[in-house]
Amino acid sequence: MNRKLLMFLFIMLLLAGCYDRIELEQQSYVVAMGIDKTDRKGVYAFTYQIANPEVGSAAGQGGADEAPAEIVTVDGADILSATHTANSFVTKKITLDHTKVIVVSEELARDEDFIRVIQSASRSPQIRRGVQLVVSREDASDFINNNKPLMEQRPHKYYQFMLDRATQTGIIPEATLHRFFQITEGDADLFLAIYATTEQSDQTENKKTEDQYIAGEIPQIGGSPTQFMGSAVFKEGQMIDTFTGEETRFAQILDNTLEMETLFATIPDPLMPEYQIAYNYSQKEDPSINIQYHKEKPTTIDVQIPYQAEILAVPSLIKYSQNKEYQKVLRETLTKRLNEKTAELVRKSQEEYRSDPFYWSLYVRKYFKDVKDYEEADWHKKIYPNAKITVNYKMEKLEFGKMINDSNLDEVRD
Amino acid sequence: MQNNGFLQTKEILAITLIVIGSKLADSTPALLAQKAQNGFWLIPVIAFVCIFPSFLIMLYLLNRYQHKNMIELIETITGKWIGKIIGLLLFLFTFLTLTLNSRNYVEQIKLLYFPESPTEIIYLIFFGIVFFGAKRGFEVIGYTSWVALPIIKLSAALVIILIMGNIVIQRVFPIFGSGLPIMLSEGVKSTAIFAELFFLLIAYQSAKKTQMFTKGVIIASIIAILEIVLFYFVYITVFDYNSIGKIAFPFHDIIQYIQFGEFFTNIETIFMIFWLFAAYIKFIIFIYITAWIFGEIFAIRNFEPLLLPFSFLVIMIGLLPINSISNELVLHDSLITIMSPFLIILPVLLWIIALVKGDLKR
Repeated sequence: MNRKLLMFLFIMLLLAGCYDRIELEQQSYVVAMGIDKTDRKGVYAFTYQIANPEVGSAAGQGGADEAPAEIVTVDGADILSATHTANSFVTKKITLDHTKVIVVSEELARDEDFIRVIQSASRSPQIRRGVQLVVSREDASDFINNNKPLMEQRPHKYYQFMLDRATQTGIIPEATLHRFFQITEGDADLFLAIYATTEQSDQTENKKTEDQYIAGEIPQIGGSPTQFMGSAVFKEGQMIDTFTGEETRFAQILDNTLEMETLFATIPDPLMPEYQIAYNYSQKEDPSINIQYHKEKPTTIDVQIPYQAEILAVPSLIKYSQNKEYQKVLRETLTKRLNEKTAELVRKSQEEYRSDPFYWSLYVRKYFKDVKDYEEADWHKKIYPNAKITVNYKMEKLEFGKMINDSNLDEVRD
Repeated sequence: MQNNGFLQTKEILAITLIVIGSKLADSTPALLAQKAQNGFWLIPVIAFVCIFPSFLIMLYLLNRYQHKNMIELIETITGKWIGKIIGLLLFLFTFLTLTLNSRNYVEQIKLLYFPESPTEIIYLIFFGIVFFGAKRGFEVIGYTSWVALPIIKLSAALVIILIMGNIVIQRVFPIFGSGLPIMLSEGVKSTAIFAELFFLLIAYQSAKKTQMFTKGVIIASIIAILEIVLFYFVYITVFDYNSIGKIAFPFHDIIQYIQFGEFFTNIETIFMIFWLFAAYIKFIIFIYITAWIFGEIFAIRNFEPLLLPFSFLVIMIGLLPINSISNELVLHDSLITIMSPFLIILPVLLWIIALVKGDLKR
């Protein structure tokens, strides 16, 4: 009898496993989180975009009239304690497990306290290292409020698809919190965060080509007002500048730790410069980065980038595909242009930022026996700004797509 | 004692692999990375090189003195009273390792998966189950380990495969981390991270033939060291030298980070189950051998009733440290530093005494 009672009591104990039980219904899943500065030091405004799981799912009949997301803003000292304050007007427990992006206003990103508030994010087990860091030109709360996607209304899918696609094309970098901490704590190199805005800039110019914008400058008619383009450059945990989409792409080409799938771009037609030739840049193998470290004289960095190009459109209708001479000109122009653009970015990083956004410090490490030597050599201050850098593109393949020739203008118009 | 000597090489192998291999998924990496920075992944190798000869000497002695387990062996060689004192010391080490380790595991479960539950309750439930498992006897433990081994290792392999894309090999450099001298001294000091190998020797007589035990333990320890080095290499190449020391539970940080393609995100719970499974078996084995060592010292043949008071003691003492950080970085660290010289020197001393006494000439 006693034995049975004991057994029963022990089984009762297992019920304690229900301590952390919480129903799906009782939780509010935050998809995007915004952080802004306030007037007071150490207090930030946190914006939570809470997804409504009933919208867009086949099962949800009752929630047809509800909005796809609820957006709230509260002040607080850190991310987690602000969620509790927010519960004064949010009905359910705010859960950060499914957060996809953290949006930070440019004002806060340029503040030296930024690292403090973002550090508290990594302490919480709820926020994952895969969360993407987005810098918005306006306040983060405005960004989240203005962001009204027309097609993909479910916010979690919106951010997932939007960022995935834009990262694939290389106009924005992959900017996870993981990478942010690796680079910031590593105290070498620059970190690139995604740059976005919902406000059109006054500087909208139509003269630029497809990727020479930063967010807000792209002339756009229709669609969602949110533009993801370019990147915010962080040095030592503080934002210092922005990159255009083009610069972001080149930074990603040069960085072996980032992956970019395809890149569509145009160059002026070498034979008829008033037209643009569109091509698809792709890389089948990683660039080889060779660093020769010299203690006394400048370090030499030699980068070889093998690439492939596919010509997509030739509006000038010149027959490049069958004329060897023309092809040679085209090949040289392409490579030359890539070389020039990259050299320009490298020069800018050496002179203006005095550090590199390419994560190249990785390749110099093997010259040091231990961390102390490596830190004394000082990538930021001594090695990189003085290094001699050569970047060479090498074309491996030039394809012309499925058309052998374009229409012959003379025959069409005779 | 529910031990009929039916265990074979594979069960011994599984037991050893689970007890030692679990070091790849607890706070040991954080502990080692504090001083050695990105050189920490080589520390297990140094520690292993230090401890393995001593361990082999121990196995050799056990082989020469047939039909004895570790405590009996020590008593035979050094005499009854000195033997008992050494045995007691060994018991103390086992018990403290068990207690500090268990607190670490309970803290991991609490922090990462059950934030609202009180530590006491998790501890109680964890050790309640461990107690019932240990009560089944060493053979059942052995069979269970063997059955569980493939699935535990498979899930660990899956973690490696999924994190592969985030590895940046160059992060391993500078190769010696915070410097070769620091690494070597840390390696020697951390020898006791393999202390469990010695504790397991109490079960020397449990296998069908003692050769099977020897074979199982040696193969398992070699596999375990490779496994540990592989995982530590992954940690350092994923997290880099400045971050690795800051992360208390790198295994859990990695399983939170990985995903199955774009659709299956937040999959850490899958791996957590197998991790928990391994943790249960580890502590079942651990508490059983602790009670066993105690039983041998005080000549308690039927030591299994001791399991309950020991489980209770582990909970009570395990709850004492104020937080998991001080538990791991201060207490566990000092315990390892104290145990290391002891474990390296003891077998050599025993061997010399046995040689002088002339016992080995037979």
